[in-house]
This record gives sequence, structure tokens and C-alpha cells, in this order.
Amino acid sequence: MIAFNVASCNDDTQQRAIGVTQIDAWFHTGQEGERRTIIDQVARFNKIDPAVQVRLTMIPESSYNSQVQAAAIAGDLPDILEFDGPYLYNYVWQGHLQPLDDLLSSELRADLLPSIIKQGSYRGHLYAIGSFDSGLGLYARRSRLQQAGVRIPAGPADAWTTQEFKTVLQTLAKKDDDGAVLDLKLNYTGEWFTYAFSPLLNSAGGDLIDRKDFLTSSGVLNGSASVAAMKQLRSWIQSGYVDPNVDDGAFTSGRVALSWVGHWEYPRYAKAAGDDLIVLPLPNFGQGSRTGQGSWVWGMTARGEHAAAASFLKFLLQTDEVLAMAGVNGAVPATRSAIARSKLYRTDGPLHLFVEQLTGGYAVTRPQTPAYPVITSAFQAAFMDIRNNGDVQAALDKAAAVINQDIADNKGYR
Amino acid sequence: MRSGWQSNSSSGPAWLFVAPALFGLLLFVALPFVLAIALSFTNLRLGSPLPLEYVGLEQFRRIFSDEAFRHALINNATFALLVVPLQTVIALMLALLFNRRLSGMAWFRTLFFMPVVFPLSLVAVVWVLIFAPGPGGMMNAVLETASFGTWKAQDFLHDPQLALPAIMLTSVWQGMGFQMVIILAGLQAIPRELYEAARIDGASQWNQFLHVTLPQLRNTLIFVVLVTTILAFRLFDQVQIMTQGGPHYATTTAMYEAVQSAFARQQVARGAAVTVVLFVIVLLITVLQRRLLRQERAIK
Repeated sequence: MIAFNVASCNDDTQQRAIGVTQIDAWFHTGQEGERRTIIDQVARFNKIDPAVQVRLTMIPESSYNSQVQAAAIAGDLPDILEFDGPYLYNYVWQGHLQPLDDLLSSELRADLLPSIIKQGSYRGHLYAIGSFDSGLGLYARRSRLQQAGVRIPAGPADAWTTQEFKTVLQTLAKKDDDGAVLDLKLNYTGEWFTYAFSPLLNSAGGDLIDRKDFLTSSGVLNGSASVAAMKQLRSWIQSGYVDPNVDDGAFTSGRVALSWVGHWEYPRYAKAAGDDLIVLPLPNFGQGSRTGQGSWVWGMTARGEHAAAASFLKFLLQTDEVLAMAGVNGAVPATRSAIARSKLYRTDGPLHLFVEQLTGGYAVTRPQTPAYPVITSAFQAAFMDIRNNGDVQAALDKAAAVINQDIADNKGYR
Repeated sequence: MRSGWQSNSSSGPAWLFVAPALFGLLLFVALPFVLAIALSFTNLRLGSPLPLEYVGLEQFRRIFSDEAFRHALINNATFALLVVPLQTVIALMLALLFNRRLSGMAWFRTLFFMPVVFPLSLVAVVWVLIFAPGPGGMMNAVLETASFGTWKAQDFLHDPQLALPAIMLTSVWQGMGFQMVIILAGLQAIPRELYEAARIDGASQWNQFLHVTLPQLRNTLIFVVLVTTILAFRLFDQVQIMTQGGPHYATTTAMYEAVQSAFARQQVARGAAVTVVLFVIVLLITVLQRRLLRQERAIK
């Protein structure tokens, strides 16, 4: 590591001597494939234009935000950095990012998924773009649903209603050994619970926070719609329909008929269920089916070399590069032109549902406010209470109070 | 007796030798601690662009009116009260068992010490699998067999009554090897002549244990109890991985609340306040314990 740094410092001086713009980029150490791909991408980019050279640094994912905060205090942020979408509003509020508005041509903007633009925008400016997006679905084995005589929804507009979903669970449970037919990935921790289950609040007409001015959660997070949605979810657990899935094998082993999870499980599930695998929209709790969205995105720091950084970000959004990254992490490619060439996501692909959800207004962006770390932490705590048979109203009341307190403490995050 | 070079006039070299260690101690222990105290009186939020404000005792008022923090203190106390005696007694029994000259003893000692070497996070993940709900879970299956089928499968980690005991069991299993090794060292330091003398006097095995082993182990046991108590108040890893403080605060701890405040919610000042309270509590307990079990200074 030290040797590497010394070597690159020497490169530095040599390149500066001949007028090369050097930009530093931070990337999270995600899956191995993602790491290999970004290294290849940087190498390709550096070859295209010798006048702009990107230097990549890998930061461990688990402590990524802490590292960003520490670097910000020390004045050591790179020119561009990757970060998890919901942190964007916090970074903007802290003054670390600069807008990318003039970076995108209108064609590129139209080509990007609307969900990517939405997640990357804050207070009228675009601050971040990603080369992939995410989504939620209910994975099932077609044959098993057919045997049970259950209606199979054709798309997000056709999702099971609350009542219908309950009947589906009942019907499937009758044919199941232990009656547990639904996997909610309760073995996951942290952000999963907000990502996966707050869309249910939106589907019921509730939300995590009042999105008009992002100043209060009262009457929204603990309002009747949100409370009813979480009560419904708790009733599935109480009725024994939900598999605790401690071994993460509930669906692959065939123990459950339905698995509520993101696009990332497709490769594993497809291997286990083969052609029998189908992906369905999450149930419609009244206002239409809703899914979470968002993933890691790129932003430019306040010190960023604008033109050079912009050309690197544009490079990453070229169809081939988008497909290269989406090909290894399995996520939804961020541009329509890449989607059209993706075997998994194009119109006749097995995962086209995720595209339909992201382009058809079914995706909910996590609240665009610097209060998000507190919102998600409070909702996770409430979810744990509810999951363990706690009182729904009390749990959500407490979460709303924690969120409101934080917003007040920070003077409304203006 | 004071000899010449110990006098004040030439304590310079002494300070010089102590300086590197002292510098490290001040920089990495004293300074962060003083900072934590100072920060607990502010509104500091990680990376906030808002000006830092003095808020007096507001953070303390908040944590003490927080249901979660009250549960955390009760859980810490319960954990310490049950785990410290239990772990010490088991470690003592194991040490006595393994303090014999039998073949293969090194293997047994290693076996029981192994959990200490494993990272706590790994141990916690393994125990999540052991406590798996439903009749298929290992713990449930064992209890069912042991109770001739009368045990009803439990979801240990999500039952308010069972979650904390489950974490205690994990912790005792993981930690007892460490205490065992310390007590073993203590046992081996006991002069054999004492036992010989006791035997000549006709003391039974039990009386030898009561009147030779225990008094000789006094300082070791005090050390073990002290360290285990402090570790009990630092309980965090198992909670983070196995229960995330739930169900309904049944397993939350002061350290877990501090980390949640400072890192999940970026409320550094509140996290600092929690650690200050934790420090005061641990300090009080340590002082109290030392008062009650005054450690004997080196004999002779």
C-alpha cells in the first residue's frame, strides 16, 4: 500500500510536469466484480484521454460515511466520490458537493431512469448520478402459485391488493408443511428494513415524513395509513406466515413460496428455481404497488475539477460502461439505451418488472432530507418493535418523535 | 529508604523514560476522554454546518428521559449481576479441572480457550444459527431431546424473556476461557508445600480447596471479577449482531445506545453523553468493588 502510494506520487509529479489533470475518485469496496469492473473502467478512461487521469481509491463499505466525514473535516475529500444515495442530502447540506446540472445533455437526461434523477436531485439541483438503480419484488415459483390456484399479477398495475395478498398467504400456507410461506429477509439488518418496508407506508397513503417541507413526521409516519400498513405486516408475522430465514435459504431450499427481496437475489434464485421463477410486484395497499429504489451514486465535491470530473462521469454513463457494471452487480442499468441491450432487463427479459416500476412511477425515493440517517434509524427501531409484536402506534409515535426532535435540533436543516 | 538518585533533583531521566508512554496515554486515552466530557455539553452532530452550541445538561436530560437508555442500564446491570458470578465460578471449576497432570491436558485447555480467540462477531453469528427458531434450530432440538419432547420450540432472540439470557449464554461461553487461563496461572503459582502441609494435617480435598486454594487465589479472583464486570458493561458486539437491542429494548445496552446515537444517527454529542454516564458507573462499581474486596498487597 505504501509502496503503491509512493509510486503514484512519482507518477503525479511526472504527469503534472506535462500538464495533465489528475482527479481523485473514491469507490466503495463492494462485491469483487464491482471492484474489478471499476478498475478496468478507470484504466479504459485513462487511455482515452491522456490529459485527464483518474486515480482510484477503494474505501471499505462498512465505514464509508465515517471516512467521508473524517476526510471532510481534514479537507481531504477527493474530486469525485461514490456514496450511497440517501446520504446525498446530508452531504449537500454540509456543503461537500457541487451541482452537476450543466453536466448532462438533454439527451442523456432523457435517457436516464427518472428514479436516478429524482434520487440525485436536491433543492432544485442535480448533485449525483448513478450508473445503476435497484428495486424490490416478490419472487415466486410459478408452478407453486398455479397449484394453489392463485391469480398471478401481470405487472405493477395489477398487483395483489391487501386483502388478496392475505388470501394468497392463507391459501399457500394450507399447502405448506410449517405454514411459513413468505420470506421478508428478516435475516438482513439495518437499512434493509427501511428500504424494503417503508414503500408499504407509501402504498397505503402514509410516509416516513411529510414531504411537503420535510419538517415533521407527525401524522404521517404515525398517521392512520402508516399504522394500518404496519399492522397488516405484523399480522403476517403473527399468523406464522413469515419464515425467519436465519440461514438465508428460505426460498432456494423451497421452504417458502414467496420471497420479498431486491433485484440482487435474481442470480441465486434463478439457479434454484430455473424457468419456474417469476418476479411479481409488491402488494398494493391502496394507492398502488410501491417499491424502494436507489443505490450507490457518483457526486462531485466542492473542490472537484469540474470539466475533468464531468468527462469521467459521462464516460461511466456510456451504454457499454453501464452494461459492464450492471453485468457484474446485477442491478438495473441506469439508462434506457443500456436497458434495451440488457438480456435481463429489456422488454422481454425476466426482470423487466423492475424497469416498469422505476419508469412507471411505482418507485419511492427515500426522503430527500439531511435528516435521513435519523429517519432510517428511527424506522428500523420501530420495525424491530413491530416485528417482535410491539404496539404499532406506540412504536411509530416514538419514531416520529425522534425524527421531529432531530429536525428541530438542526433548525429544520435549512 | 531513599537513595540519592531517587531524589527530586535527578528525576529528570525518569521523566524522560516515562515520556513516550505518558505521551501516548495522554494523547489516546486522556484527551479523547476529556473531549467526550466536553462534547457531551454541546449539540455536536457529525459534520454539521451549524455552529457548535453549549447546551448545558440537555443531552443528559434527554438520555435519562429516554426509555431505551433506562432499559439499557437495567440490562447492563442484570447482565453483570448474573454473568460475572456465573462466568467466574465456571472458569474456576474449569481451571481446577484442567490443573492436573494428565496426558492430553494441553488439548483440553486449548479447546476451552478457543472461543476467546474467535472474533466476537463470528461467535455471535454462529450463535444466531444455534438459536434458530422452530424445532429445527439446534438449541431447540437439543432442549427437546433433553426434555423428552416436552420443550416447545422458542424464538430465543425475539422473545423478550429469552433474548437477554441467550446473549448471556453466548457471552459466558465466549468469555470463560479467558478467565480460566488467568485462574489456571493463579493456581499454578500456589506453592505445593501448602497442600502437602494440609494433607499431613489430615485436610480433606474440600478443606484443601476452601482453606488453601481459595485464599491463595484471592487476588486472582478479585482481578477476574473486576475485569469481567467492566467487560459486562461494555457489552456491544453480541447485541449488535444477534438482536439489535430488541425485542422492545430487552437486550439494548449503554454501549449499543452510544454507538447508535453517534454513528447511526450522527448525534455525536448524545453518544458522548452516554459514554460519560457509562464511565461514571463503571468507575463507581470499580471503586466499590475494591473497597469491598480490598486486594491484599504482596505478602512478605
